[in-house]
Amino acid sequence: MFLFSRQEEFPRLKQLRALSLFSTLSPRELKTVDALLHQRSFIKDEVIFDQGEEGQALYIIESGLVLICRQGQPAAGRIAELGPGRLFGELALLDNSPRVAQARAAENCTLAVLFRADFLGLLQTHALIASKISLQLARHIGQRLRETITAPGSQSE
Amino acid sequence: MNRGSGPVVWTGIIASTCLLLFVFQKILWLVVPFLLALIIYYFLQPATNRLVLHGVSHKTAALVTGGSFIALLLLCAVLLSPWVGARIVGWEASLTRYIEGGSRLLLGTMGALEAQFSFLERASLSRNVSEQTAHFTETFAQRHLGDFVVTLAAWLPALLLAPFLAFFFLRDGRRFTRFIARAVPNAFFERTLYLMHEMDRAARGYFQGLISLTILDTVALAIGLWIVGISPPLLLGLVCAVLAWVPYVGSILGCLLVVLVAATDFPLDPWMAYGAIIVFVLVRLLDDFVFMPLTIGRSLNMHPLLTVLMIFVGGAVAGVAGLMLVLPLLGIAMVVGETIGMIVTDERLQARHAHSRRLRARQAAADLQS
Repeated sequence: MFLFSRQEEFPRLKQLRALSLFSTLSPRELKTVDALLHQRSFIKDEVIFDQGEEGQALYIIESGLVLICRQGQPAAGRIAELGPGRLFGELALLDNSPRVAQARAAENCTLAVLFRADFLGLLQTHALIASKISLQLARHIGQRLRETITAPGSQSE
Repeated sequence: MNRGSGPVVWTGIIASTCLLLFVFQKILWLVVPFLLALIIYYFLQPATNRLVLHGVSHKTAALVTGGSFIALLLLCAVLLSPWVGARIVGWEASLTRYIEGGSRLLLGTMGALEAQFSFLERASLSRNVSEQTAHFTETFAQRHLGDFVVTLAAWLPALLLAPFLAFFFLRDGRRFTRFIARAVPNAFFERTLYLMHEMDRAARGYFQGLISLTILDTVALAIGLWIVGISPPLLLGLVCAVLAWVPYVGSILGCLLVVLVAATDFPLDPWMAYGAIIVFVLVRLLDDFVFMPLTIGRSLNMHPLLTVLMIFVGGAVAGVAGLMLVLPLLGIAMVVGETIGMIVTDERLQARHAHSRRLRARQAAADLQS
């Protein structure tokens, strides 16, 4: 009975599926990913990470707003404001390079955190899940690149 | 990450390793099963990961590998118990026979030396050794067998705990990591995750290296003993390789065991025992210069001088248990110490943590200030 029971979509799994990075995962795959995610709560104005810091994890916004800005310049150096479902710090998943900007909580927010070592472990143990996440990640980076190229004042235009 | 650590951090690492050794030797009944459980855990982890890779869920994979291991142990116990029961009465006689065989070899060697060097003959060395070994073998069973049986009975429940602990490590290890991470403030979160990952990597490298080293030692010793003609080579090789988990003392015990077997099985041919010693020394050299750097040496990334010094310190602080525990403890203390050193000395992280606390305190008191 247990073996043939249908995988119920728990609210947590629905919440994860709503995130662009995990939108292509099946319920079973979502449960595997959920076991790897850490949930963190940040208070308004709290620094999530600093520019130049070595990145170890990718962040996905579950609720609230996150401000991406130049180090210590939340108003003048504003780069983007991200809402629920969006992700940031994704380059940390690919390499050890330093963070290119600072991330701050623009309001009280809850974030899901995927640690790089866990993602690399996923590549070895659950190649299919890792490849689906990688594809979504590549799409996300491509979209960011397009946005940068087509942004007003860009040299490519 | 910047991995440069100063003398203060290193003093802390060495001091905390010594302190842990001192504490652990007081609770060996818990530490030894825990250590064995870690060895079993890292031994079973690749099989669990392989099952997960083939689509089995993590819990089921842990249940299959952990359950199979426990079932295998139970099967071995059931199959071996009649054999052990039939021979247990003769073990005291066998033990005495092997000790007598060893003392015969010792006396023969002493006699040959006395014939060569007259000052040894004047000192009546072989007579003294003969009297002492005779006294030892006569009273050995009376003095030690009772203690041995009582110690075994006291340790058996704790040792039986090891496979079950290993099963729970396999099943719930990840949950434990998340549980610990939840208690860490946001400012230190990424560094702490990195620390836990590094600790796991160091421990995995050490214990999986230890398993590989044991297999290599067993095979090398078995081949050497088989060439010399001492039997059973595989069993002797395995026992010696497991004894070698305790640095220095374990190797000496292993060598003694092989020599006793050779001297008893071939009482008229002392060259068999000498051959066994030569095989043992060759395998030790191979172990120190080839096997060890290929397995454990790579995983802990320690300077050889520090390794040797800490083994002596471990022995001085906690005896045989200290010899066995010092390297894994030092490996973990190194990772923890270096990361804590980085966090404590990182003023930016400290400032971010203080800022976060201020913000939280302000928010908690927001409706109280009107």
